[in-house]
Amino acid sequence: MSRNPGEPVYNLIEVARVALGLTRQELADKVGVHYQTIGYLEREEYSPSLVLAIRIAKSLNQEVSELFSLTPLKKGK
Amino acid sequence: MSKKNKIYWFEGVTEKGVKSLLNEEDSKFRGLRPQRNRRVLVLLMALGLVLTSLGSYWPTLKTNMNLSDGTSVVVYSVTAILVIFIVLGGYSLLRISVRSIADAPNELLDERQIKVRDTSFRYAYFAMGYVVLGLLSLMLFGPELKMFQPEGNDGSYLMIATLFAFASLPSMVMAWRERDI
Repeated sequence: MSRNPGEPVYNLIEVARVALGLTRQELADKVGVHYQTIGYLEREEYSPSLVLAIRIAKSLNQEVSELFSLTPLKKGK
Repeated sequence: MSKKNKIYWFEGVTEKGVKSLLNEEDSKFRGLRPQRNRRVLVLLMALGLVLTSLGSYWPTLKTNMNLSDGTSVVVYSVTAILVIFIVLGGYSLLRISVRSIADAPNELLDERQIKVRDTSFRYAYFAMGYVVLGLLSLMLFGPELKMFQPEGNDGSYLMIATLFAFASLPSMVMAWRERDI
């Protein structure tokens, strides 16, 4: 059975990106996607493929498991 | 920078053309981006398609146009050509409004854009099923209902409208559905 497509993949992309001082465009260029796709990911409106998740985690110096979760993540400091 | 403009013959687009739309390099079409404006464009396009499909019927509708008269033929032909050009213009604007994603090759899109495009094609395919069903019904029952006549009402505009619909439906679906492309 496939995962419910309406079920979001929670992430800390924005937190990690801002911590590194990167803009959406810069992160998008690093991982090879359009900058709006980064926006969609950060708003948890789009669930990335495993390849993209790994690329993003690598670009943000994080582990995939630290950055993505199927349960809500705390984004505050 | 090697910058040969690659042509994608199958998709009918160029690399530079798609990239310039994707990166919003052409700011003069920014007004087409908001979903509300895109939806207006889709409605106008649908109206244009309906008008084109009715092209064969104009003479026999309320105009009482007699196509054996030379002036009427000219008026009819010029109007028909005008409508077709307006629909073509609408199609171009529609493509610009969805940044040509509907026609772009995979290698120029990211995975989300590919998903958006593929979903639009899926819906467009279903929609085309209904369009073709309607067309077939007209072709089957039209002659019985005396809808088609050899003079000016041979159903050719119906075919033209269907071809336009085939080309524009994916962009129409995408322009209607997507909040932010």
